[in-house]
Amino acid sequence: MIPRHFQITVALVLLAILVSGVIIIHLTHKEEALTLQAAEAVPVAPIVGGRQEHIQLLLAYDEDQALRWRSADVFLPSDRNLRARETLRSVLAQYLQMPSPHPLAKGADIKDVYFINDDTMIVDTTAPFADGHPSGILLEELTLASLIETLTANVPGIAKVKFLVDGKERETLAGHADLMSFYQTAVVHELAKEFE
Amino acid sequence: MRWSRTGVALAVIALCCAFAVSVAAPEQQLTVYTAQSSYSLPVLDRVGKPYVYVTDLLSPLGATKPTLKGKEWRLELNKAETRLTSGKDKATIRGKPIDLGGKVLVENGRAMVPLDALLPLLGRLMNTTVNFHQPAMRVFIGNIFTHFTAEFKNGDQPSLVFNFSQPVKPDANHENQNGVLTHTDKTTLLFDKDPLVSDLKTQQYGDGAIQSLSFSEENGAALLTVTGNKPLQVIRSDDGRTITLLMQTPEVSAVPPPAQPSAPLAGTQKRPLEFFVMIDPSHGGADKGASFGGKLVEKDITLRLARELRKELEERGIAVRLLRESDVDMSLDRRAEITNEQHAGIYVALHAGRPGKGVRIYAPLLTDPQQPLAGRFLPWESAQSGAISRSQTVARAVSDELRKKGLTVASLVMPLRPLNNIATPAIAVELAPDEKDPQSLESQKRQNNVATAIALGIVQIRNQMGARP
Repeated sequence: MIPRHFQITVALVLLAILVSGVIIIHLTHKEEALTLQAAEAVPVAPIVGGRQEHIQLLLAYDEDQALRWRSADVFLPSDRNLRARETLRSVLAQYLQMPSPHPLAKGADIKDVYFINDDTMIVDTTAPFADGHPSGILLEELTLASLIETLTANVPGIAKVKFLVDGKERETLAGHADLMSFYQTAVVHELAKEFE
Repeated sequence: MRWSRTGVALAVIALCCAFAVSVAAPEQQLTVYTAQSSYSLPVLDRVGKPYVYVTDLLSPLGATKPTLKGKEWRLELNKAETRLTSGKDKATIRGKPIDLGGKVLVENGRAMVPLDALLPLLGRLMNTTVNFHQPAMRVFIGNIFTHFTAEFKNGDQPSLVFNFSQPVKPDANHENQNGVLTHTDKTTLLFDKDPLVSDLKTQQYGDGAIQSLSFSEENGAALLTVTGNKPLQVIRSDDGRTITLLMQTPEVSAVPPPAQPSAPLAGTQKRPLEFFVMIDPSHGGADKGASFGGKLVEKDITLRLARELRKELEERGIAVRLLRESDVDMSLDRRAEITNEQHAGIYVALHAGRPGKGVRIYAPLLTDPQQPLAGRFLPWESAQSGAISRSQTVARAVSDELRKKGLTVASLVMPLRPLNNIATPAIAVELAPDEKDPQSLESQKRQNNVATAIALGIVQIRNQMGARP
């Protein structure tokens, strides 16, 4: 004969396990919904066609305070604007993976890229690219140098680049690096050499 | 014929009189004191009332450029929109009407408001207390007053010692290059940059070399007037917190004033631009800058380092101004504007940020150098163009001094704001934290080491290149 108090204890433990399970399932669903919502909130560029190319990316490595060339296989369209955008996105993809050599905020992306004349390009980034960028002179400059150098290495004929954030001008990337000026790619090339 | 000659003569005399009156008429000015700086603007007589230009008054406080829509001028300051209508004596701020005490006038395409409108306008727009000493035309934004005490010492060489609550820099009348006053009956110290206030009217001290002291305010300035019957020497010490008026003796007049820590006061007329270093503790207010865990944020580290650097420079006889003394917001453009307006000798921006360790020294880099425009004006984005090589010299000197102290130093050139908008030699200094111990950024010893090295670098540059690098 099992004592009555033991039966009650076992029943209470089973009930507690059941309630905990329900709460955990509920929280898991909620988290999934939030993640999905966040993912949907990030603007997604349309899927582009093109052929796979082996390209060079200049990536920032925070730990070493350095820029290093790395190769990657990327689908690049023939259209100059789309090619530039996909090149830049392939750099950001490297920074958004875990572990990252140069972490950027979730949602950092390139919204649009367009030429205002033959050699001058405007790069429009998403708001999280700047809003969530770690603040610091070197961190910000490494990001810009990495993007501009990779761009000029893979899309010929770009002499000047300017960055917008969510379609608007912004003074700095995250309090330091100048976003108001047009960057001459030749000047950035010299700057990047210091870190290679 | 005789009448016409007389008429011409009278007309000429009348014109001469009018010219003389117009030349002799003293220019009225209003001075606005804020926690960051002070500035003066002209007060003009219009329709029998004193008026000021709206942009002169509000732009230095960070207001946007007024835009005209029909008859309505719109501008924004501290996220509050202000609307002024030409010919109307009411304005709206944040949608609520305020009485301006006179009509809005438009002259040369610029809106003007009467002086009576200052208190209601600034009271609504500034998020702090505003005091307006209207007869003296002095406006104080925030609790920023400078007070003083005066101690009279009688004896063989009578003196009057002023102690101020903050460093001051008055103009003194009648001085020679050694700071010795030659006027015998009245010495006036004019404070047009310092928010000096006092309840003192007049204090009598007897009938000797120093007979009385009086405090007054007029035309956008405060005045301390000392009467006596002997020439007085002025000695400024304690970083400008103490000023001593001392009866001049024949021996004293032959000896230059002590070099440290005293310095002669500048004259009132055509004084040369004084060399000073503008220190910019970056970020502030809502802009915290980089975070290093816990409550350790860049804006606090830079302010502490700025104070340390000021102490080190002043100890070496170099005048210093800080762009912010407290936790306040200030745009990058405003930081550059103040530095350019005040003609700083060197600008030093202080930062703290990851990654790495040690100290990074940045000289400016123009990413898109533009040709200077004709005349005196420089493009804002490349205002640094004329000073860039001198900036690099300053950066090298500071880096060398930091290395001598055994610190890890990286010297870099980078396109940074607001360095590129500054028309004088400019550098940025970034402290990098020890990754294992970010709290090391707060270390007094480390900050002192860095501040001393920067100060030594600046002193060296100043000695190499003269008073104005």
